[in-house]
Amino acid sequence: MTRWREAAIPLALAAAVLAVPLVVKNPYHLNVAILVLVWTTLGAAWNIVGGYAGQLSLGHAAFFGIGAYSLALTAHYWGWSPWAGMAMAVAVSVPLAAAIGAITFRLRGPYFVLGTLALAEVLRLVVLAWRDLTYGAAGIMVPEIFPGLSRAPYYYFIALAAIAAVGTTWWMERSGFGYYLTAIREDQETAESIGVNAAWYKNLALMISAAFTALTGAFYASHLMFIEPDIVLSEPVSVQMAVVAIIGGRGTVLGPLVGALLLVLASEIFRAQFQQAHLLIYGLLLMLTILFMPGGVLGEIQHRLRLRAAPRPVIGTTFSSSHESSGQREVG
Amino acid sequence: MEFLAQLPQNLVSGLLLGGMYALIGAGLALVFGVMDIVNMAHGAFIMVGMYTTFVLCTRLRLDPYLGLLVTAPLLFGVGMLLHRLLIERVAHASHMNQILLTLGLSVALVNLVQLIFTANYQQIRTSYSDAVIRLGSITMNVPYVISFALATGITLGLYYWLMHSEFGRALRATAQDPMAAQLMGVNVRRVQSVAFGLGMALAGAAGALLTPVYYLYPTVGANFGLKSFTMVVLGGMGSVVGAALGGVTLALAESVGQMLVGHELKDAIGFVVFLLVLLFKPAGLFGGQRA
Amino acid sequence: MRRALARLLAGALALALMAGCSSQPTGSPGPGGSGSQSGASTGPSGSGGSGSEDVIEIGVVTSLTGHEANFGEAQKRGYEIALEEINAAGGVLGKQLKLLWEDDASKPENAIAAVEKLATQTKVPLIIGAYSSAATLPAAQTATRYQVPFIVPTAAADNITQFGSKYVFRINSPSSQYARAVVDFLKEEVKPRTIAIVFENTNFGTSTAKAIQEHAQAAGFEVVAYEAYAKGAPDFKPMLNSLKAKNPDVVAFVSYLLDATLLMRQSREIDFNPKVYIGAGAGFSTPEFIREEGAGKDAEYTFSATLWTTDVKWKGAAEFARKFQERYGVEPAYHSAETHAALYLVKNVLERAGSLDRQAVRDALAATDMGPDETIFGPIKFDESGQNAHPMLVTQVQNGQYVTVWPREYASAAPILPTPPWSERK
Repeated sequence: MTRWREAAIPLALAAAVLAVPLVVKNPYHLNVAILVLVWTTLGAAWNIVGGYAGQLSLGHAAFFGIGAYSLALTAHYWGWSPWAGMAMAVAVSVPLAAAIGAITFRLRGPYFVLGTLALAEVLRLVVLAWRDLTYGAAGIMVPEIFPGLSRAPYYYFIALAAIAAVGTTWWMERSGFGYYLTAIREDQETAESIGVNAAWYKNLALMISAAFTALTGAFYASHLMFIEPDIVLSEPVSVQMAVVAIIGGRGTVLGPLVGALLLVLASEIFRAQFQQAHLLIYGLLLMLTILFMPGGVLGEIQHRLRLRAAPRPVIGTTFSSSHESSGQREVG
Repeated sequence: MEFLAQLPQNLVSGLLLGGMYALIGAGLALVFGVMDIVNMAHGAFIMVGMYTTFVLCTRLRLDPYLGLLVTAPLLFGVGMLLHRLLIERVAHASHMNQILLTLGLSVALVNLVQLIFTANYQQIRTSYSDAVIRLGSITMNVPYVISFALATGITLGLYYWLMHSEFGRALRATAQDPMAAQLMGVNVRRVQSVAFGLGMALAGAAGALLTPVYYLYPTVGANFGLKSFTMVVLGGMGSVVGAALGGVTLALAESVGQMLVGHELKDAIGFVVFLLVLLFKPAGLFGGQRA
Repeated sequence: MRRALARLLAGALALALMAGCSSQPTGSPGPGGSGSQSGASTGPSGSGGSGSEDVIEIGVVTSLTGHEANFGEAQKRGYEIALEEINAAGGVLGKQLKLLWEDDASKPENAIAAVEKLATQTKVPLIIGAYSSAATLPAAQTATRYQVPFIVPTAAADNITQFGSKYVFRINSPSSQYARAVVDFLKEEVKPRTIAIVFENTNFGTSTAKAIQEHAQAAGFEVVAYEAYAKGAPDFKPMLNSLKAKNPDVVAFVSYLLDATLLMRQSREIDFNPKVYIGAGAGFSTPEFIREEGAGKDAEYTFSATLWTTDVKWKGAAEFARKFQERYGVEPAYHSAETHAALYLVKNVLERAGSLDRQAVRDALAATDMGPDETIFGPIKFDESGQNAHPMLVTQVQNGQYVTVWPREYASAAPILPTPPWSERK
């Protein structure tokens, strides 16, 4: 009974998301909604590793780009349908995640962050240089999954992906898996000492995250109809995935949706209103978030609510917790 | 055979660039290695140094090397200010928040500069821009040689100062244990601000020295951001002189390595080296002692 | 303290916004780009809102921000001058033209959104855009989806006119034409045995270099080096040294401005003496390249395939160059000439169509036949695929000026061949 009540709100929300094209007929608005959901899916995928497991990856463009190129190259060389290409994207991304995880999870803290950044850059440079396979910076055309005038099928597809990704985090928050990840984030040594297989859970989280990211990458490629390495494999892609989740609220279920809404809509509005300044505002927003509400918008709201209500068991904790290494203390 | 014939020139080119890399590495080593602040804005700081030099040169007709005398102190001041206003607030928070804050700072700086100067590529020319020194088959561009000499001088001076001055001792004490340093009468907050300011000043100095030989555009710092971490890691984290050597090593590796993998993959060399060192020799190539 | 900081950041934000607004109309204050007050981006004052009866709105997508913003700015300047001229001369169909700007922030996803917005939220008869090929290709496909005529002024990737659209019309030459011009010129005038190809690994660089390689092999030249370099990392000496060791007759560069500058300077430093240095447009064809702040005297004798020069014989080109120089303090590059011509094409097309109906406008575009003196960019006539057969030129820098040397019918001087070695130059 409680489970049903617990699920009622998410189901209603999912239904509302799916109902959007019934109300929004204008293709431009629908396209903006598609972008919101693209970034929601990416933010949610990132959130699994970056938010719940606390492993701040700045290399997720690798999975996004591999997804995009899986669809593009299978269609180009073997004439595969975009659907098969999408399946390929997911199939390739999981072992890639296992390989990247095997390397980067040996690194801790900032070295993990820099390691993911470095690996994604190496991949971008290789794709750029391997012209015989990828056409390098000349780019490659990508077939559409839904040929035809209507954007609605694109919307339904990415809406389902977003619901699946957000739903995964919703399920995680209620499962042992999510609990283990949070424990690893808060204190890996302690988690391991009570028998949590940290390496396995972190790798699993990365593989799930990579699968969603690659799927979205393939979708995005098909939506753009053309890709080149700088579009799908560059550092800003990685950064934006992280920023969406962080501004919305790291380690919260709906944080990525809030973050994507804020950033995509702000970008559309700023682009029209402030022209040259909109990326500057983006940087300032990130700084303000970290300084004044490090848990992001939803994290902050939850934190406030929690201060009022009776203390609850901590799962989605805030991120102002102190440093794991070094003996520095508050001074002055 | 061809490889060997070209090796000397490439070693020299790499070494000359290595002087600048040494400054960049030393600057980040102070902030990241010693103060333990993960600064993703180091590349942006270099860019700010380049644009400051550019403005001094194009508007005030100040020689870029004299401009160094303005750029470095100016960025030192800005660095202290940034430390007080922003960095200090996350100095004790998680590394993640430091990364995100400095990433935001970097994005903001890059786009502020783009707003003011546009995204156009710019460069400066001096009367000696075209001068070349020839040693047999090896050629050296004069601005490169001057930049190299100044960079080496600054790095050595910094090292001497850190090892022999009162501040240097305070800095090393703070890095080891801020609490104990505080108890011993060190003004820890001040030391940390100065260290951050110094880090930014060194980035600015590197930028100033790069300006006559490189070109500038708002995102130019991205070329050095991740690389500067590679230098620090190569040098064994806490060591300023190690990071400087790490910088030289990286420049040589890129210069010689690109003969094997080509120009467009030379940046990948640094990143692969970075991962290999972290995985297999986390203490760095030059031991792990703290400067 | 916390509050003070918040106030400071808010202040910075406000300042940034103000800076953004105040710098927006005149664009960049770049070096020498002084004093012009004009450049209001949306036509004459008082032309009112979008629903106004006395204006015709045209959609324009370009990169006003992001990493391509400098090129977007060059495009914008060309549009602005043309817009003022057209409106001052009475507009089109008795109405004033008005441009609806959409910034794609140098991102393809925004270019799609921009075209979608223009196609569905406005009644624009056609859209012009964008800058980069990466943004233009999806923008063109989106315009096709909504059956809105789409004029491409600058983007050079061949496939933009090759996906079977009836709505895409390109004024400029695609990158394969640059390659053809380079090789045809070499074949006729130089007859080299060996060629080294060096290119920036960007979209234009990669596709043009590939086409040069294919054409060169077909022409019987031996391609002794095919080297890509990363953009924004200007230490080219090791690469140039390895080229020098291969001793090619011709070095062909596909490079942007500052790379072009440094490639030539560093070639001199290492005393690298092929018979011919030739660029495929871009950096080797910009006014800055030959100036003292650019490659200066190191640019002397370099050839380049190009689309447009300020001294080209098409009517109005010289006047445009003068007006541009007066207003922006710099010489125009071909991007500005392309967008200037694009707007004159729009005028021509709308007048022939006689309506703002998108189908009528498309048909009028397809039937375009503008003579060599009707735009500053020369004749415009589209083939089946919507590609304009724009004549390519090859220039050489002689006495610090771009001089057209090929093809013969456009040449104002003979090419100086072979390039004198560095040691024999003054």
